[in-house]
Amino acid sequence: MNNIIMTEGLTKHYGSLVAVNHISMQVKEGEIFGFLGPNGAGKTTTIRMLVGLTTPSEGTATIKGYDIQEELLNVKRCVGVVPETSNLYNELTVGENLRFMAGMYHVPKNERANRITSLLKTFGLTERSGAKFGGLSKGLKRRATIAAALVHRPEILFLDEPTSGLDVMSTRSLRQFLRDLRKTGVTVFFTTHYIEEADQLCNRIAIIVKGRVIAVDTPENLKAIVQGTFVVEVVFTSPVESINLEELETYGKVEVKHNTLWIRVSDVSKSLKALTSFADDHGLEVVSMNTVKPSLEDAFVHLTGVESEVMLMEKERRGGGA
Amino acid sequence: MRRKQIVRELKVAWAIATKDMKIYYLKTPSLMFGILFPFAMFLSFVVGRDMPISRAIPVLVAQTVFFAASSIGPVSIPIERRLQTFDRFLSAPVSLLTVLLGKTIAGFVYGVGISFIPVAIGLAIFGSQITDLVALTMGMGLSAFGFAAMGIMFASLPGQGPGQVLMPLNFVRIPLLFISGVYVAVKDLPSWGQVASAASPLTHTIELIRLGLGGENFFGPAINMAVLTFYLIAFLIAGMRFHIINQKRD
Repeated sequence: MNNIIMTEGLTKHYGSLVAVNHISMQVKEGEIFGFLGPNGAGKTTTIRMLVGLTTPSEGTATIKGYDIQEELLNVKRCVGVVPETSNLYNELTVGENLRFMAGMYHVPKNERANRITSLLKTFGLTERSGAKFGGLSKGLKRRATIAAALVHRPEILFLDEPTSGLDVMSTRSLRQFLRDLRKTGVTVFFTTHYIEEADQLCNRIAIIVKGRVIAVDTPENLKAIVQGTFVVEVVFTSPVESINLEELETYGKVEVKHNTLWIRVSDVSKSLKALTSFADDHGLEVVSMNTVKPSLEDAFVHLTGVESEVMLMEKERRGGGA
Repeated sequence: MRRKQIVRELKVAWAIATKDMKIYYLKTPSLMFGILFPFAMFLSFVVGRDMPISRAIPVLVAQTVFFAASSIGPVSIPIERRLQTFDRFLSAPVSLLTVLLGKTIAGFVYGVGISFIPVAIGLAIFGSQITDLVALTMGMGLSAFGFAAMGIMFASLPGQGPGQVLMPLNFVRIPLLFISGVYVAVKDLPSWGQVASAASPLTHTIELIRLGLGGENFFGPAINMAVLTFYLIAFLIAGMRFHIINQKRD
């Protein structure tokens, strides 16, 4: 597969703040590429530079071979953009918004009606075609915004936090749509702070923290970074929070909550023996014992030192969403 | 090829203009600052004064074209910045000039449309007569374009609400009324006032409209049109430059 997006030392300064710090990476044609990182990591700024909404301070990038600064109009012709805020016109109907966007992207007049009808159908918006955009629910607004970004049939679709603030059903249908979109050959570049979303959807993921990309790889390869580490989860009949856990800590990092204990270990059999004797010594009865393989979240925490729960809390506090 | 591209850009500009007409013409700030404000100011100056209707109608026409045309950009652009719909233009394959031209056309149509009302009232009710159609058309059309471009230029001021642009714009619009021969004829102004009025685009608007409706003209229509054309180009270029600076700052 060819590289459709390439960046070399891409950097953005806002005064003394370095929002994006010398990012160099490649996105392959037809893949779903996830940009995963905590709030303020530089994900949105990177997208804004790639689509021409803001000018890079340093570095270069090409999209489909076009330089983002020298050949911006060509870049804009082959990309669709879905920002974090669903930004169609509240006063226009869904159909009017799509027609307006078709005009902005020079879609031939004789093709507009068919394309719009097909997009409305794909996104389940046919019945809402005459409804004002401002009156739609968050999920429907999101769908209409994505439909508008696809009206000119872009080869690359940029989505900034596409499922942020959506309910479960809307999130599921949107994720399925992105999988289907990939089958049509469209390259999808999206930012997210949901680790499991990146794991489920992406062919490759870039992890970005404080403006720097610290890893780019497939979810499997990223998980392999923490390979050899397992999490053993043990549920006891009574709480273990007050018990001294020093003897277990020699086997790995221990976390407890009420009557559940987690221990990160490299040798499962050794730790199981230790856990059994620990239970006997303290008169505890074991309800269940599970071994969990390392997840992308473990890899993310290992690489960044940022706990995923912290990412979500930050996002919720900020009130992200459409 | 070049011609085809220009036609395509003009079509996009028109699409932006018609979209703005639909969305912003009836927004409260457009109605307040584009229609109510000039009418209220006109009445407060005219009522009780011994101004003949033949002089009053051109004043009202000039004032409405001035306020209405220059209000649409300052209403639409800050709202679009706040709702991030302005980003839609910036990420589409159209030039910034096309976007600003579309927004200028929306202001132009609003200015001409609203100012046509007092012309029609004058003709139908007060016996006004069009004595120079070219002067009247240029006075309304060229001015509406120029003032719409002036509004777009002011809309480059940072701010995410119409008020943040319309207030500073009014600090310029209102003083212009007093040096532009709207309420005091240019020939009756002191010499420094006449110099100032020559530099004001509004002076040349009222001059052309007066001429078109049978009134007197101080500077001559050729100078009026030249000055208005100069301001139209200057406002368009300055507006473009300021919006580019804003975009770079983002």
